[in-house]
Amino acid sequence: MTDLSAASPALPRPDSAKRRSPLYLARRRFAANKAALGAGIVLVIIILLAIFAPLISRTGPNDQAFLTKSLAFPSSEHWFGIDDLGRDFFTRIIYGARVSLGIGLSAAVFSLVLGLPLGALAGYLGGRFDWAIMRIIELFSVVPPLLAALLLATLTRGGVWAIVLIAGLFGWVNVCLLVRAQVKSFREKEFIMAAQALGASPWHIVWRHLIPNSVSPVIVGFVLAIPLAMMLEASLSFLGIGVQPPTPSWGQMINVGMNFMYFYWHMAVFPVLALAVTILAASLLGDGLRDALDPTLKGR
Amino acid sequence: MTGPALELRQITKRFDTQTVVDRVDLVVPRNEVVALVGESGSGKTTTGLMALRLVEPTAGRILLGGEDITDLSQKDLKPFRRQMQVVFQDSYSSLDPMMTLGEIIAEPLAIHAIGSPAERRDQARHWLERVGLDGSYATRYPHELSGGQRQRISVARALILGASVLVADEPTSALDVSVKAQIVNLLQDLQGDMGLSMLFISHDLSVVRSLADQVVVMLRGRVVERGPTDRIFAAAHHPYTRALLDAVPVVDPKARRRRTFLTADELAASTPRFRSHEIEPQPLLDTADPQLVALVGSHFVEAIVTEGR
Amino acid sequence: MLQFIIRRTLSMLATFFVVSVIIFLMMHAIPGGPFDGYEMPLPDNIKAKLMAQLGLDKPLWEQYLRYMWGVFHLDFGVPYQSPGETVMGLIAHAWVPSLVLGGLGVLIGAPIGILLGMAAALNRNSWIDYLASGIATLGLTIPVFVISTLLILVFAVWLHWTPASGWGEPRRWILPIMAYAAVPLATYARYARSAMLDTLNKPFVTVLRAKGLSERRIIFQHVLRNSAIPMITIFLPMFVGIATGSIFVEAIFRVPGLGAYFVSSIQKRDYPLEMALMLMISALFCISYLISDILYALLNPRIRLGGKAR
Repeated sequence: MTDLSAASPALPRPDSAKRRSPLYLARRRFAANKAALGAGIVLVIIILLAIFAPLISRTGPNDQAFLTKSLAFPSSEHWFGIDDLGRDFFTRIIYGARVSLGIGLSAAVFSLVLGLPLGALAGYLGGRFDWAIMRIIELFSVVPPLLAALLLATLTRGGVWAIVLIAGLFGWVNVCLLVRAQVKSFREKEFIMAAQALGASPWHIVWRHLIPNSVSPVIVGFVLAIPLAMMLEASLSFLGIGVQPPTPSWGQMINVGMNFMYFYWHMAVFPVLALAVTILAASLLGDGLRDALDPTLKGR
Repeated sequence: MTGPALELRQITKRFDTQTVVDRVDLVVPRNEVVALVGESGSGKTTTGLMALRLVEPTAGRILLGGEDITDLSQKDLKPFRRQMQVVFQDSYSSLDPMMTLGEIIAEPLAIHAIGSPAERRDQARHWLERVGLDGSYATRYPHELSGGQRQRISVARALILGASVLVADEPTSALDVSVKAQIVNLLQDLQGDMGLSMLFISHDLSVVRSLADQVVVMLRGRVVERGPTDRIFAAAHHPYTRALLDAVPVVDPKARRRRTFLTADELAASTPRFRSHEIEPQPLLDTADPQLVALVGSHFVEAIVTEGR
Repeated sequence: MLQFIIRRTLSMLATFFVVSVIIFLMMHAIPGGPFDGYEMPLPDNIKAKLMAQLGLDKPLWEQYLRYMWGVFHLDFGVPYQSPGETVMGLIAHAWVPSLVLGGLGVLIGAPIGILLGMAAALNRNSWIDYLASGIATLGLTIPVFVISTLLILVFAVWLHWTPASGWGEPRRWILPIMAYAAVPLATYARYARSAMLDTLNKPFVTVLRAKGLSERRIIFQHVLRNSAIPMITIFLPMFVGIATGSIFVEAIFRVPGLGAYFVSSIQKRDYPLEMALMLMISALFCISYLISDILYALLNPRIRLGGKAR
C-alpha cells in the first residue's frame, strides 16, 4: 500500500456535518421558497379540514337542518351562512374539499400508475415503443383536454369515478413525459455502463439506479396532476356533467351560487374562494417542488 | 490461466454500413500497460467497450486470461466481469448522483453478493483511503467532490473486486493538468501494487509516455502502428503517428517544431511502402491493401507491400 | 425547409385523421340517440325510418366516410335541435360573438401581459416582478369560470359598474372580454418574462454592454428581437384556445356564441352539431400547431441575428 495522501496534498478534509444528499439540497431549496412553503401549509390545513370534517361540523353535508333559516348570511353560528336548501354552508364547503381533493389525489395516482411505467419503458427501450407512445401523446396534445373531458363525461354520465378516470387519462401525459425525459437522459449515463460492466442485472440497474433517479419527476408529476384534476372536476361539475348532487362539489356549488349571487353573495363567494385557494396552493406547491428538484440544478 | 491478460483478435464493429473498428488485433500482456491512442472517432473507445462486452462486436474474438468470452451469455460472463473493470472519462456521469460514495464503491460487492453489508462498508472505507481520500467521505455524495476526487472514486469502484485487467477510457482527459498527474500516479501505484494489466485509452501522448509499456495507434478503425513506448516516441514510422507526436507540446521553446497537419488524402498518399524483400518475416503478397508489417522486434507499422527488390 | 414543411403537414394530417376517427367513434358510443329523450317515446318503426333517413343504420365505417365526405364540402349535416337550419349555418352566425369577445380579450390581454412580463424581467425581484409572477400563476391555475364569477361579483353585484351578462350593447362586453383576457395575459406575462431573461443572460448581451451600448438600445434593438420568437409562436394556439374558454365564459355571461351551442349540443345529444364543433376545434388546433412549428423553424435563424449583433 502506497502513501497516496502525499500525492494529493490539496485534498480538503471532509467535514462530516456538511453531508448533503441531493434530496437534502432539494429540501433546503424548497424551504427557501416562501410561496411554495406557504402553499404547502395552506394545503395541509385544507386536507386536515377535509379529513376531520365530521368532527368539525355537527351536521352532515346533506342534512337540511336549518330549513327555516335558508339562505341566511354568514354569522358567528354559521360561518359561511346557510344554503338554499337549509344546509350549513361551511359544512358543505369542507365536505366539498373531500370530494375535490379526493378526486385530485385519486386522479394523480391513476396518472402515475399509467404514466410512470409507460414513461420509464419509453425512455429505457426507445425505438418503436417510444415512437408509439410519443404519437399517442401527440394526439392528446391536439385535443383540448376540457373538450374531450366534456365528451367523455357525457358518455359516462358523470360520477366521481368517471371523473377520476377522465382526469387520469389526461394527467398521465405529463407524468409520462417527465419520467421519459429523465430515464432517457440517465440511460446514457456512464454509471449505468459501469454497473453493466460490473455484471449488474437489468433489474438491479432499474431498481438501484433508474428508479431512485426518477424520484424527482415522479413527485413533481404527481403533485402537478392534482390541481389539474381538481380543475377538471370543478369545470365538469359546474356544467352539470361532473359529480352529481347531492354529493357536495365546489364546481356544482358555484353553478348553484351563480343563480343566487345577486342577492345572496355568500352562495357564490365561498365555493369560488375555496376552489381558487386550493387549486392555487396545489399549483404553487407543485411549482415549488419542481424548482427544488429540478435535475438541471442538482449537484454543483 | 495461460495467455495474456487481455487479447482482442480481429475485432470488428460495424454500425449499419459504417465500419467503426476494422479487424483490430490487440494484446495486453500481464502486468503491462498498453496505451491505445488516436484522435476522437478513431474507434478506440468502441474497441475498449467491446473488450468489456458493453458493445457487442460484429466479428472477432475477445480473450480474457486466455479464455474466450466472446459468446458467453451475460449470466456466464458475470464471474469474468470481476476480473476486468473500467474507468470512464466523465467522472460526473460515472457516479450515480443519488448514492453515497460508500454505496458507490461497495456496489460491485453488492452485485456479486460478497460479504455482509457491514463488511462491504468496511471494504469501501478501506478503498476510499487506498485511493487517497478520507474514510469519512463514505457518507458524502458525488456532487460534493472535485473532478479528480470523483475519478478516484471510479478507480476504487473498479478495483474493489480485485480485477486483474483495467480498461481506462480517457480517465484523465477531463481533468486539470495538476490533477491529471495525481490520477496518473494513482493508477501507476495501483498497477504496481496489484499487478494490474491495463488498457489505457487516450489521445494525450504526454500521459501515455509516462505510463505505458506499449503504444497502439489507431486511425479510422485500423491499427496503423504499434510498438514499445520508447520506439514509438523515438522512431515512429507512420506519418499519422508522427503527426500525433508533433502535437505534443514541448517545454523548450527552441526545440519547438513546426506542427504538421495531415488531411485524410495526404495520409493515404503517405502510407509507408515497402518492397517485399525488406520485410522479415515474409508478408502476404496477394493483396494491395495496407497490412501491418514488422520493422524491428515488436514494432509494427501499417504499410503497402509490393513484390520485388 | 420545404421538406420539413411537407413532413410536418403530413404528420399533422395523420394526427387529425386519427383524432377524427376517435371523435366519430366516441360520439357513437354515447348512450341514447336523439330520439330517446322525449317524454312520449316514438314508435319503433317510425324511429327506424328516421334513423334510415339520417343514415344512422349503415355500418360505422360507411357512416364515417359519408360524414367526412360531407365535411370536405363544409356540409356537417342538420342539427337535431333546430332541423330548419344546417350545422354550418348555425356555426356561421354563432362564431361572431365568440370571435369578437375572445379576439378582443386576446388582443387586450396579450400586450398587457407582454409589457408586464418585460417589466418583470427588467426589474428582477422587484415588486413588479412579484406582481407579474403572481398574476401569471393566478391566471394559469384558476379556472375561467371561477374568474368569471368573481368578475361578476365584484364589478356587477358589488360595484354596479357594469351589467352582469348578455350580448348586445358594448357595455355588456366588458366583463366577458376581461374573462377572456385573463389567460393570454397570464401566459404572456410568464412567457415574456422568461424569454427576456433568457436573452438578457446570453453572452452577446454582455458583449453589447461591454461595447458601451446604452441599455435602452440593447433592449429595444437586440433583446426584444431575440425574445420575440417564442412569443410569436405561441400566439396562434392561444388564439384557438378561445374555443375552450368560450364554453364557460358564454355559459356564465349568457352570450349566444359557439361555446354556448357546444354546451347545449352536449346536453341535447345533438350529434351533428357536437361533432362539427369538436372536429373544427381539433382542426384549428392542428393547423395552429402546424403554423407555429413552421414559424418557429422559419424565424429561428436567431443564431444569425445574435451573430449580427456581435
